[in-house]
Amino acid sequence: MNDGDKAAISRRTFLKSLGTVGLVAAAGGAFFLPGSRLMVIPNSQGFLVVDMGKCMGCCSCMTTCALVHHGFTSLSLARIQILQDPFAKYPDDITMAVCHQCQDAPCVKACPVHADHVDGNFGNVRTIDPQRCIGCLQCIAACPWIPKRLQWDSDKGHSQKCDLCADAPYLKEKGGPGGTQSCVKVCPVGAIAFVDKMPDQKSKSSYNVNLRGKAWKIMDGSTDDIVREG
Amino acid sequence: MENKLYGFAGKILLVDLGAGTTTAVSSEKYRQWGGGHGLGSALFWDYCKDKTITDGRDPKNVMVVAASPFSGTNTPSAGGRCEVVGVGVGQYPVSWYTRSNFGGRFSATLKYAGWDAVVVMGRAREPVWLDIRNHEVAIRPAGKLWGTDTKTLQQKLWQRLLEEAGGMEGWYRLPGKRGPEYSTQKPAILCIGPAGEHQVAQGCLIHDSGNGAGQCGFGAVWGSKNLKAIAVQGSGAVAVADPAALAAARFAAKEHYAADFDNPDLRHWGPFGVPAWPVIFFDQPNEHRRVQACQGCIAGCRARFNVGYGNEVSCQETEWYSPHVIKWCKGDKQKASEIVYKTADLCNQLGLNSYPMGIGLDWLIGLREEGRLGPGKEIDSKLDWDKVGSLEFIRELLEALARGEDIGALVADGWVQGAIKAGREADWRSGKLLFTYWGMPEHGYDSRLELEWGYETLICDRDMNSHSINFIFWFVNISVIYGFKPRISAEKLVKVATDKMKPWVSGPEALDYATANMYSDAVMDMVRWHTFYSRFWKNSCLLCDFRWADLFNTNRPDLSGATASETAGEQVFWNAVTGEHLSFNDGIARGRRIWHLDNAIWALQGRHRDMMVFADYVYDKDCDTFEFPFYLWPCRNSAGEWEYTDLLHRRLDREKFEDWKTRFFKKEGLDPGSGRPTRAGLKEQGLEFVTAELERHKCLGREDKV
Repeated sequence: MNDGDKAAISRRTFLKSLGTVGLVAAAGGAFFLPGSRLMVIPNSQGFLVVDMGKCMGCCSCMTTCALVHHGFTSLSLARIQILQDPFAKYPDDITMAVCHQCQDAPCVKACPVHADHVDGNFGNVRTIDPQRCIGCLQCIAACPWIPKRLQWDSDKGHSQKCDLCADAPYLKEKGGPGGTQSCVKVCPVGAIAFVDKMPDQKSKSSYNVNLRGKAWKIMDGSTDDIVREG
Repeated sequence: MENKLYGFAGKILLVDLGAGTTTAVSSEKYRQWGGGHGLGSALFWDYCKDKTITDGRDPKNVMVVAASPFSGTNTPSAGGRCEVVGVGVGQYPVSWYTRSNFGGRFSATLKYAGWDAVVVMGRAREPVWLDIRNHEVAIRPAGKLWGTDTKTLQQKLWQRLLEEAGGMEGWYRLPGKRGPEYSTQKPAILCIGPAGEHQVAQGCLIHDSGNGAGQCGFGAVWGSKNLKAIAVQGSGAVAVADPAALAAARFAAKEHYAADFDNPDLRHWGPFGVPAWPVIFFDQPNEHRRVQACQGCIAGCRARFNVGYGNEVSCQETEWYSPHVIKWCKGDKQKASEIVYKTADLCNQLGLNSYPMGIGLDWLIGLREEGRLGPGKEIDSKLDWDKVGSLEFIRELLEALARGEDIGALVADGWVQGAIKAGREADWRSGKLLFTYWGMPEHGYDSRLELEWGYETLICDRDMNSHSINFIFWFVNISVIYGFKPRISAEKLVKVATDKMKPWVSGPEALDYATANMYSDAVMDMVRWHTFYSRFWKNSCLLCDFRWADLFNTNRPDLSGATASETAGEQVFWNAVTGEHLSFNDGIARGRRIWHLDNAIWALQGRHRDMMVFADYVYDKDCDTFEFPFYLWPCRNSAGEWEYTDLLHRRLDREKFEDWKTRFFKKEGLDPGSGRPTRAGLKEQGLEFVTAELERHKCLGREDKV
């Protein structure tokens, strides 16, 4: 059984349990409850978590992200953003900004044409179909995080967001939940991790975790937890 | 992306500060030079109308800040380095065409803004700074920014630029050709501090907190041009010829050659595979810090701390003042650490090259102890020399050096020049002022012992500061100091390393530094290999000196490093980015051509083989002491076996070294009588275009002597 089958069965089971029929699929794996404007959005099966104390600020995750998705290197079109202030005190000198694959997916809900959708073929990752995107920017506006976790591609006139490398044409391996994420794979120090358990959606800092192991301490570094929002 | 000049942004920015104009020219013509240094030398040749100038502060000087095809890509330990070239300030006996290099993210941002290089010409009437926002460029008055230190300058410009940009939450707006583009990144700024403004020889260029183009006085050059800063914001991209191959090579580099971050080998040998760890030579303030890296680096070498000082400082910056600080602090380690790291910050904020400071300070202290330096003395100084080791003293001294006041007035044109001015030339010749070559301090690797460092420096233009071979010294000697058995035997090490250098060298004897072999053709071929490797792969492609060349690597079962490898060698990244089909050795041949172009420029500036000499002490005295009790290096013993041998207690033989130079010139097709280019030699390198200018200035070497 492939991941797409799993997602489909999962959705059917979910529909059955609701005891409903004739639901209208609206945004890939998401759907509207009949007779209402309520959208039911299945949870993503994968998430990126980061350690803001471990990141070196090399931005290899950013350049590699753009590379495997677009075929060129760029920071502006990277779906993970590393922000730095070289003069600030550790750990506030670096902010790692990843898409949360939010449970309630405000960007998906905001999209008027369902270009921003839940991809049932790739573990319900929230992603944007560039062919359908009309460039209204409502998805970016809806993102609750600062910096916004979606990017504007001025050249092509549409938005984009992290798809956990589900659609990364220049990544030789299979991407998406259960596959490879280029930022995780390239990070020289393992400051980014893929998890399949959804971080606490009520906490503002649950995507920021401690990934520094024993080696960090041996090399005279701190292994203290860093509690940061974002 | 429409640009298919893979790896290149496609445009070079010409800035004429005298005329107040900016112009874009295509990068196409310069593609053959790679990027960085090669690109810079070609641009210098084309745009510097009088290449005979020998003071970088001359308004005719042309300075180039150059990125490379790797800049802004994820090529490991290459994406963020940047090359600076032009006529320098403070070298001795001649301040000629030279280079420096710094890390961070400036070159990457320049590429994202759409530029491969910035060529700075002329002198502005008033202090200015250059504002680059993608394709929009403006020369703006510096106003009150002139006079600020490098930290204040950058923080003020960040605030101003980001307020002007506006944008969405966390994303700043930039001008794009098809509407607004956005970036989360702070502008990348390269700037000078008070030292550059006062045009002193120690003035350098600073970027972010701790990246500096230190050697050769380029800060003074900017000061003379009234250029305070270049600020770049870029939201574009770098076109890559084979994106899948580039991604795969980067993954392979990590998997096969880099350190395992969860289980690092702390006794690893080889520069590419070391764990990410700050290269600091003094107790860090505390463990609450991160390892920090330049853009694209695979193993960071600096730190940012939670104490508000010492961010991004590293290596010699954290060492040079420390012996005095230890004495001053009398066992208070925390206080000592604070002084050492704040001293490094001060250098960066004043825009001072810290490298001459340690040796220079030792000389000054010696003069004071002899009663020659002090208020009203032979060398007048009103600084409180009783407080050497304190933060107050070093602040006063560094301010004086940056502003050319007090003792700073003496050495404003360079330390050797200062010694001569003070009637102390003998100090330099004897090694009391330990400046070995080209008016620059000994780097810590004595030329009587570590041959490639000295020899290569003399056939180039400045302290060569390139560690590919020198890593042998570090890994071997540190192992022995700590009582470990060397990870690689001498025999295996020289074999693995010299296999990477073939066909430029014939075998392991190229790394035999035994006294019997120190002037050999084998050693010469190794020096040639390293010079040309550095000229292209490091200085032009901008691979980081701290990670490349990776000649040996204990993360690999065969101990063979990433350099020239089929999965993660230099040429793999180059070809993936540019779409060329360059072999590793083709790259070194390009480096050779670039070196010959540089040599043509030096010839125009009066360079002659007679200048290519070390300070007298190198020939007149044995090197008997070192910071370690020995200086181990692979050598063959009298039985022909390889072993790590102590090289202490030897000197260079002047006559034999002169003969080495003669053989080098002949091998490179140069006039052995002068070291200058010949018509035939230039033709062989495809440099016919420089011949006429050399001939006009009577700088062509004689063919009949080759």
